[in-house]
Amino acid sequence: MPFSSLQKKDFFGRQAELASLYKRVLQADSGQAQSVVLSGRRGIGKTELLKHLFGRLFFNQDRTVPFLYTVNPALLSVTVFSKSYLSRFICQRLAFEKKDQALLYRDGITIDGLSTLAEEMGALWAKEILDQYMQCSGDPVDALRIALLAPHRSTLSTGMPVAVLIDDFHWVKGLHLDGVPDHLLVSLFQEPMSHRKTPHVITGNMAELQEMAVVSGLERIPVPSLGSEAASSMVLALLSAQEAEGNVPPLLLRHLAGNPYYLGHIVTRACAKNNPDDKEFWNAYIQEIMEGTLALSWLTVLKSYIPDLGQRRTALTIISKIYHTTEALSCQRIAKVFSLTDGEAHGILNALYLAGFIRGEFGSFRPMDDRVLRDIVDALSMREILAKSPHDMELHFLEALIPQKGQVVRFDMTLPMAREAELIVAQSLEQIGKNLNLNQDAIGQLQIAVIEACINAIEHGKGMDDKIYVSVAVDEDQTEVSVESAGQEFIIQETGEPYRDQEAEKKAGRGWGIKLMKRFVDHVRFEKTTYGTKIVLVKKIEKSASIQKEDTANHE
Amino acid sequence: MSNFSLSSRSEQDITVMMPKGYINNIGAERLELTSEEFIGRGSNKLVVNFTDVKFINTIGLSIFLSMVQNMLESNSQLCFTNMKKDHREMFEMAGLIKHVRVFKDEKDAFNYLNGRS
Repeated sequence: MPFSSLQKKDFFGRQAELASLYKRVLQADSGQAQSVVLSGRRGIGKTELLKHLFGRLFFNQDRTVPFLYTVNPALLSVTVFSKSYLSRFICQRLAFEKKDQALLYRDGITIDGLSTLAEEMGALWAKEILDQYMQCSGDPVDALRIALLAPHRSTLSTGMPVAVLIDDFHWVKGLHLDGVPDHLLVSLFQEPMSHRKTPHVITGNMAELQEMAVVSGLERIPVPSLGSEAASSMVLALLSAQEAEGNVPPLLLRHLAGNPYYLGHIVTRACAKNNPDDKEFWNAYIQEIMEGTLALSWLTVLKSYIPDLGQRRTALTIISKIYHTTEALSCQRIAKVFSLTDGEAHGILNALYLAGFIRGEFGSFRPMDDRVLRDIVDALSMREILAKSPHDMELHFLEALIPQKGQVVRFDMTLPMAREAELIVAQSLEQIGKNLNLNQDAIGQLQIAVIEACINAIEHGKGMDDKIYVSVAVDEDQTEVSVESAGQEFIIQETGEPYRDQEAEKKAGRGWGIKLMKRFVDHVRFEKTTYGTKIVLVKKIEKSASIQKEDTANHE
Repeated sequence: MSNFSLSSRSEQDITVMMPKGYINNIGAERLELTSEEFIGRGSNKLVVNFTDVKFINTIGLSIFLSMVQNMLESNSQLCFTNMKKDHREMFEMAGLIKHVRVFKDEKDAFNYLNGRS
């Protein structure tokens, strides 16, 4: 995007961060500025912030030179990188001095051409740097050193400080000499970053940046999510730009958690309809997470970190498990559940961590705090692993995301596969019923079915993960209990019904569990999930105190 | 600590077993063993009082089935009393009710077993 087209009015909720950064880099004039790293989630707007900082420095003052460079992962040969870095700097430096925007976009200019240009413009400092660079053409590492120190040398020659803004800095880890990566090359940034008159503001993928020694000593400036007010303003501006009316439903707005990248894509997609209503915004969201730019961008990230298809499938099931488990999972546990060696599990988990799909804390892994990413992971799993049709996926998300009538009260439990664990669920259900004033007779029947579902989960999950996950959702007129375990062999894909174990059924009483569940609740559903198998029990239960529990049956 | 306990008493020539808590495989096996002991001692009139039974699962139910079969083979009489409606439905589903007499309470069961009803 041309910098001149960056509109202050379209830059929402970042004015304070922008002003603070601007003030900070201007301290370079007095030799007091320090290099910093901008940290924040993917899509949160770090790149936009750098661009706006560049624009403000370029147009609003004439002392501190802005230099913005985006690392291109395709140009990491030391020779190519240093030439690109140096020529961009010289062009931007000359553009600032002459306030000539055309120079900002002089791509493809040769070093000789640049040298001639510098001479014509009377920029002797630039010619000296370029001459020195050309003399070092036989030593790529020296040439890189000259390129990285060019802002500092220009400051020494002209007295004008330089604010070096580098986006996607994490890619410089891949700098290489004749195809051989050399981690020491990154350390050449250390010196230019340490000069107080050439502060560097860098950003990129935080998971990777924080593992780079050259970045570890830098102050970290967080770029938070947009607040609700800024997010709403951004939505209104986007709608206005599309000449549309409407508004993102509040629940969806909260779901998007102030991420400008997400907001932009959802609103743009929804605006394909004139004046979209709530349903059309939700539909736009569902399409985006299933097959839109948001889904594609995350899939591209996954592919770039895990290029092998087979490994990517395993990675996807691992992410899904992490996102559907309420506790942190260790590498050893993942290895055990997915029958991987510790080394294989570590390799995949590290790639997922670096890609930004999961968080890693002291060897345990948790999901990112990003509901959109969670939905995208679910959509990918459904499509790639479970081979669900787009129609089924859409129905799933419509049901899961769009609020139905009334408010749902939800309780989640994780239970060990210990003896009589099913009683914990049954007793909890009784208490939930009491707290929410639900019909006790109906709760009693649901308890019976839940006990059977738990026994089933324990029986079929044996030897897999040692946990069962129970979720109770109480709606206005129905209660839904889902019981999930790691068992894989329980459901027939085509019918969605459980297998019939003919041998087991010969024994008295075996096979009664499912019959009993179906008898005591209104609807029983069996689902094969990315984690394992889920039994969902749905029972219509009124909220009423008038119906008394029938304690005994009188017969004979 | 177990979620099941069993107490029993004999009145006249009738044995009353009072299970309490959760009848799963463990609870039902104890009931079966206890009933076999009483039958072995010559008691052929048994009452199971379900007042304090909170839950029954299908594994427990299947063991009940074999207990009923044992009773039938030994020409003993088995009565259930104080059953919750849902528990009765479970026994009906398993086809057990046709072999067992179900009464509202012990008094009715005693009357039946003593030939007074």
